[in-house]
Amino acid sequence: MRPFLEQCTNGLAVGSIYALIALGYTMVYGVLKLINFAHGDLFTYGAYLGMTLLTSLLLHERLGIGPGLLVLALMVMGLVALLGVLLERVAYRPVRSSPRLNAVVSALGASIFLQNGLMLVYGARYQVYPDVLPQTAFSILGLHVPVLRVGVVLASVAMMAVLYFFVQRTRLGAAVRAVAIDPDAARLMGIDVNKIIMLVFVIGPALGGAAGLLVGLYYGQISFTMGWTYGMKAFTAAILGGIGNIPGAMLGGLLLGLIEALGAAYLSMAWRDAIAYGVLILILIVRPSGLLGERVADKV
Amino acid sequence: MKRVMGALALALGVCMTGTVRASDTIKIGMIAPLTGAWASEGQEMKRNGELLAAELNGRGGLLGKQVELVIEDDGGDPRTASLAAQRLTSRGVVAVIGTYGSAVTEATQTIFDEEGILQIANGSTAVRLTEKGLKNFFRTCPRDDEQGRVAAAVIQKSGAKRIALVHDSSAYSKGLADEINTLLSAKGVTPVFFEALTPKEQDYSAILTKLKAAQPDIVFFTGYYPEAGLLLKQKKQMGWNVPFVGGDAINNPDLVKIAGREAAQGFRFLSPPVPKDLDTPEAKAYMAAYQKKYGEAPNSIYGVLAADGFRVIAKAIEATKSTETPKLREYLVGSLKDFPGYTGTIAFNGKGDRVGELYRVYAVDAAGSFVLQP
Repeated sequence: MRPFLEQCTNGLAVGSIYALIALGYTMVYGVLKLINFAHGDLFTYGAYLGMTLLTSLLLHERLGIGPGLLVLALMVMGLVALLGVLLERVAYRPVRSSPRLNAVVSALGASIFLQNGLMLVYGARYQVYPDVLPQTAFSILGLHVPVLRVGVVLASVAMMAVLYFFVQRTRLGAAVRAVAIDPDAARLMGIDVNKIIMLVFVIGPALGGAAGLLVGLYYGQISFTMGWTYGMKAFTAAILGGIGNIPGAMLGGLLLGLIEALGAAYLSMAWRDAIAYGVLILILIVRPSGLLGERVADKV
Repeated sequence: MKRVMGALALALGVCMTGTVRASDTIKIGMIAPLTGAWASEGQEMKRNGELLAAELNGRGGLLGKQVELVIEDDGGDPRTASLAAQRLTSRGVVAVIGTYGSAVTEATQTIFDEEGILQIANGSTAVRLTEKGLKNFFRTCPRDDEQGRVAAAVIQKSGAKRIALVHDSSAYSKGLADEINTLLSAKGVTPVFFEALTPKEQDYSAILTKLKAAQPDIVFFTGYYPEAGLLLKQKKQMGWNVPFVGGDAINNPDLVKIAGREAAQGFRFLSPPVPKDLDTPEAKAYMAAYQKKYGEAPNSIYGVLAADGFRVIAKAIEATKSTETPKLREYLVGSLKDFPGYTGTIAFNGKGDRVGELYRVYAVDAAGSFVLQP
């Protein structure tokens, strides 16, 4: 029983990071019907910016570890959001009315550009975060759980809760949902669709950047290519939960993390990804629009 | 008639410019992972190659000609590598140095072999690479089965009863794990854990939890340093103190940066000597020259093994006064004995493997340095 519960905590930690990134994919898809392939790279930028700001400003020493990291997180989220808005302006808006394939190619190009830009600035080596957080574990009910792991899960869940509240309970959130359902009708209702799209490109990248910072703080090692793996997994999580659906992305992320950890533990380590994607295929056969996706995908 | 003459003149012209260009310089190719996950290895290979080419040209080059190093990026990926190899063959290189990963080298082997181009790999240790009967393939690094023998001996010497083997499914890593498994099984020892992890990820808590449940006395990880560093760090976060041992792909100072000093301390690995432990006068002079040019000493032994590959090719061209592959091959197999390489004396057997023991055991000390074990 104990290994099982430990594996569950392993899975939840990875899953909550997948979920944070998946939100970016799903929100952009919701309003633009575009898979933002560069989203994984925005996540990587969050990790690198976090490292640079952490080592240069030393906020955790000046303000204390808690407030310092909070300010750092806000700065990283702000900067990555800025990058996200820029990306939308430069790479997506010019091709928005073109056929869908153009936007996909543009997204892939942006991804390669961002990734290689990062390599040119920081070099190809793995970068390492300074050790600012305690590397200790605590025991609860006989379970041995690293403190940081709990921190990662709590931070992600808090951000997702704020987002959920924003989208479901505020006027601006309602506008985002309206644009996702029908941009033309939303425009007729007096919603500035461009502004909403920009807002989505603020929120998604900000969450992705925060996930990057969390990964850096938690695992310590970052590389300029890491956005690809995480992006792929998060994209899968978004589809699993129903792409375009915000609670779906959260559920999909956590579920994917759990499936991976438990599959690795009880079936086979080497087949972990095959198991995870196998489950995805099964779910899509039974529910083609994902777990929480209600509308069947538009056939274009 | 006029037209025929014109065509002839044109053909002649093309031929002549062709020969003129070919005799200008001696081109030595290098295929290296300049980008991708192993980019730091590839960048060092490039630095070593460029430094040696510059030194050689400073002394007047080879056979009275300047040497040109032609570098192609394999991205650490077999598909990219096969394209890179084809580009190199079309650029008229005499011989090729590289590359690093075994699976990547494998994708280039037949391309060079079909064109009759000599290849000296510097980091590809998978056994089968030299068991295919390819005449023009050599390597300056040792083979996995040799490392496997040393690894099995180290494991047995440690007195551990419950042994765990972890690999990353790559040709190199799985090959080494299989070799160790075979050798241990022959002595009646069955590992309590033998599985693969997925490389290039960051969370290995799932495999560590599973490993811990198998209660091993020693864990041998045959993969690369990024994963090894994360395994050590996350093992420490879990508060688990089992000794970890690794293979030669872990020999990179970034291991300690990734794991953190505390978590890395006591970790042991097998490896050809690290650059700073190379103690021949030639090697020391070379390290100094490298330090002077790039502002830091070489980090990776595989870069230095690429340097040895370059020097062996240069030596062969000089000794045979030829750039023809059959002559170079004959020289490397038959005549090259006790060549003073930076990584020790170099000679090759008929398969193209380097002759002689190269492996040592290293341990990470409290300051995060790699210390050669007696």
